[in-house]
Amino acid sequence: DRRRTGEALRAFHTAIRSSPGNTRSQAMKEQAQGTMLKVLTSFKSSEIEQAVNSLDRNGVDLLMKYIYKGFEKPTENSSAILLQWHEKALAVGGLGSIIRVLTARKTV
Amino acid sequence: MAYHSFLLEPISCHAWNKDRTQIALCPNNHEVHIYRKDGAKWSKVHELKEHNGQVTGIDWAPESNRLVTCGTDRNAYVWTLKGNVWKPTLVILRINRAARCVKWSPRENKFAVGSGSRLISICYFEQENDWWVCKHIKKPIRSTVLSLDWHPNNVLLAAGSCDFKCRIFSAYIKEVEERPSPTPWGSKMPFGELMFESSSSCGWVHSVSFSASGSRVAWVSHDSTLCLADAGKKMAVASLCTETLPLLAVTFITESSLVAAGHDCCPMLFTYEESQGALAFGGKLDVPKQSSQRGLTARERFQNLDKKASSDTANATLDTLHKNSISQISVLTGGKDKCSQFCTTGMDGGMSIWDVKVRNPRGPLRLG
Repeated sequence: DRRRTGEALRAFHTAIRSSPGNTRSQAMKEQAQGTMLKVLTSFKSSEIEQAVNSLDRNGVDLLMKYIYKGFEKPTENSSAILLQWHEKALAVGGLGSIIRVLTARKTV
Repeated sequence: MAYHSFLLEPISCHAWNKDRTQIALCPNNHEVHIYRKDGAKWSKVHELKEHNGQVTGIDWAPESNRLVTCGTDRNAYVWTLKGNVWKPTLVILRINRAARCVKWSPRENKFAVGSGSRLISICYFEQENDWWVCKHIKKPIRSTVLSLDWHPNNVLLAAGSCDFKCRIFSAYIKEVEERPSPTPWGSKMPFGELMFESSSSCGWVHSVSFSASGSRVAWVSHDSTLCLADAGKKMAVASLCTETLPLLAVTFITESSLVAAGHDCCPMLFTYEESQGALAFGGKLDVPKQSSQRGLTARERFQNLDKKASSDTANATLDTLHKNSISQISVLTGGKDKCSQFCTTGMDGGMSIWDVKVRNPRGPLRLG
């Protein structure tokens, strides 16, 4: 079970690291969104806080962008888990991280 | 800390006279009201009525005691005190959009006006015609200029704009001054020369501030960031993503520390660590009184959960001194290198004076 948690965390960091920063390709963006959503929904509620705390400031901002992207296209159960991610990310990033989702010129 | 509620509406802008006994402010209309301190009270002593649109900027020249105001009516006026009456002189800015900010230069022989016309008007007095004239700085500004700050050399001017950039221009006017000596921002400073342009922000730049020496410039932008460019480090930019709502005003209070405030309604301290080239958050300066903790009934808990998705009672009311966004900060005493007092005005119509106390001369700054 700890191995499963470790794998989820590793998948999470990989998804964050390999987020396409400057791409204009909608296809690439959608693929990254899909991957991120899968990773985020694979987490148990109790594991989310640790994952968020393992990110640096830029990582939290990036996570927040993906969370809102996930809200835009809700699936069956995605909103519930995304709201939990949102609560934890907000606690670390503050309202500023949400502001930067709104003002960002490069979207995820 | 002292708070005075002037109005029930926002204070659009304010400026202090030299000895800080009088404050000129725009009460969210077309006028400028000047209040004088009478002991603990403030009495209105003048009403300046000339603008046909909201007054968006006021600056009070400390030595020559002249006021300059600018407004949405696309005009600026220079006011001189004759006896007990303030007499306005119209300055043609040659702009076709609202003026947004105005600042006297340090030697008070020029002033700069930022506007929605996507340019800066540099105005100076032409002796032979007895008239204020202006020159424009246009390139490469692409949107409204929201804020301005002069370098101590009277030539360089920092400008924050809605095109997300903070820039430093030369506003050298050969008619009123000698050629400036080289600065860390560059040596050639013909009028309109772009000395520095930022690239990091993604939001409107609400406020810019030069440090007292002029070798650093800081700006706050609408993406909740604070940035600083250090000419002593080849114009390297340090930026800080804050956890707060966007900041609207910033000023240096020492060469390495800044106070900024905005939509979170309270001033905050930031410090610049030169060796690491990094900005750090130093804390909120408005320590709220402890709100009384009363228990919640089960019903209230459920209602909170339903309305706000949380069950705690914190943040139900604003605990800060200002009850709405702070839109302007001005240094009162000590200058930008050893500020011991600064003033904030906001959209709650209030004005607050804050004391800066240095507890340990070699330690970090504390505020009270």
